[in-house]
Amino acid sequence: MPPLPLLRLPRLVLGEVFKSLNIGEKIQLSFCSKKVSTQINNARFYSQKVIVVLDCLNEKINVHSENNKETFEITTFWKNHRGGFLSVIRNLLKMFQCKISISNNYNSDLFQPTISMLFDLQVEFKKLTILLTGSKDHNLLWNQISKKLELVDDLKISSVPDPGFRPVFISWPQTINIWRSYWFNLEYVLTCTCSRITLELSNLGNKDLDEILKNWKAGGLPNLKHLRVESQRITNNGMAILGMAPMELREKEIQTDDGSKKATINTGYQIFEMFFQMLIYQSVHVA
Amino acid sequence: MTSPASSSEVKYLIESSEGNTFDVSGAALRQSNTFNAMFLNIGADGPIPFTDYNEATLKKVFEYCEHSVNEENYSGPKHQDDLSKWDLNFFNEMDQKMFIDVINASNFLDIERLTSYCCERIARMLRGKNTQEMIKVITLPTAEELEAKQKVEEKKAAAAKKVAEKAAETAEKTETLEELPVQQLVQTTRNKLTRKYLSFSNE
Repeated sequence: MPPLPLLRLPRLVLGEVFKSLNIGEKIQLSFCSKKVSTQINNARFYSQKVIVVLDCLNEKINVHSENNKETFEITTFWKNHRGGFLSVIRNLLKMFQCKISISNNYNSDLFQPTISMLFDLQVEFKKLTILLTGSKDHNLLWNQISKKLELVDDLKISSVPDPGFRPVFISWPQTINIWRSYWFNLEYVLTCTCSRITLELSNLGNKDLDEILKNWKAGGLPNLKHLRVESQRITNNGMAILGMAPMELREKEIQTDDGSKKATINTGYQIFEMFFQMLIYQSVHVA
Repeated sequence: MTSPASSSEVKYLIESSEGNTFDVSGAALRQSNTFNAMFLNIGADGPIPFTDYNEATLKKVFEYCEHSVNEENYSGPKHQDDLSKWDLNFFNEMDQKMFIDVINASNFLDIERLTSYCCERIARMLRGKNTQEMIKVITLPTAEELEAKQKVEEKKAAAAKKVAEKAAETAEKTETLEELPVQQLVQTTRNKLTRKYLSFSNE
């Protein structure tokens, strides 16, 4: 059969053809010519939704479908590796409806420019892990992204213990997980709008948890679905939480004052590390 | 020859680019969403002009529609592997020019099942190939060819508009006649005859 005049096909037909190709085939096809690439980009809103996993350390990009059934890996070989990496990401953003996922790649020199570019382009993130040390570079990046954290589904912050460290949140992601969360005090928790808060190596104590639970009972923290605090300051012989010692709260069910929401509290005691773990699972009460 | 389609026995006349006309059953034609939107409820006064497509292409498209009349209702695109022997023969006996013409006509007539199978067939030509292999399968047009394609699409849009206008005009006529009560029609005709008689008398 003679070669197929692909670009002479009607736009709707082309869109259907692109739709039935898998991720890898579509990327391969886009490299055929600029015109083919333009047509694929024009059909972006009808394309499959993909997760783009950026591995800045190994300069690899993995594109996979939401159900993980399809996957395609891209390695860049540009001499200017930064230019190559960013260029491939920009092309993927034009072709697919993308959500980005970046794990702890912050030691790569590609990390900062990549994140910066993606936030400028208002790209959505499925997962983002950042390092905050209070350094000038990290502060610059934080100032840029803290205004647009609603673009992030799941934010993981790794930070260093520094008593003066107080990052300002102008917006919040959907869920937040902070490692070395000494700085994330009661005030941060009460203003946080995330549905899931996980605080590891926290400084929150019994008094703070009592405040948080009272606030929640009174109708505060309306988005909260799950709170997990790991802290050495949660002690069984410290101040009572909702009138009870943490051990008494285990498996305890509480509800908001208006009775609209219920939560189950779970506490655990890890003898060797000497900290309590508090989990609050919240479920919406159906009248 | 043509009338509103209330039964599958109704035949419609289709006019091709050569000016030739041929019959298509109402049941087959109703697989075209374009036809349904324009003519289904009002019928057509004379042959339906699909004059952007030649007779061979239109006959091929409606051959498919006639065949799939008795098949179960269309429920979304099928994989090429699910095609029947008849479907495979239908596609295999077409050369590439005819295949492209059929895609274009099917797209214009908005015949979902046929368009979807054609798209799947094209996707299959590209499936599992790398960029170099794909370049061998497709031809990449020059700037002039792309410009020509745009002009053709504009021409087709204008033709579709013309067909729609004709359909609207027919609908308007039908509505006007239906809306007039019988007594009013009799009176109008009587008045006309009286005026004619008077003008004769004056002469």
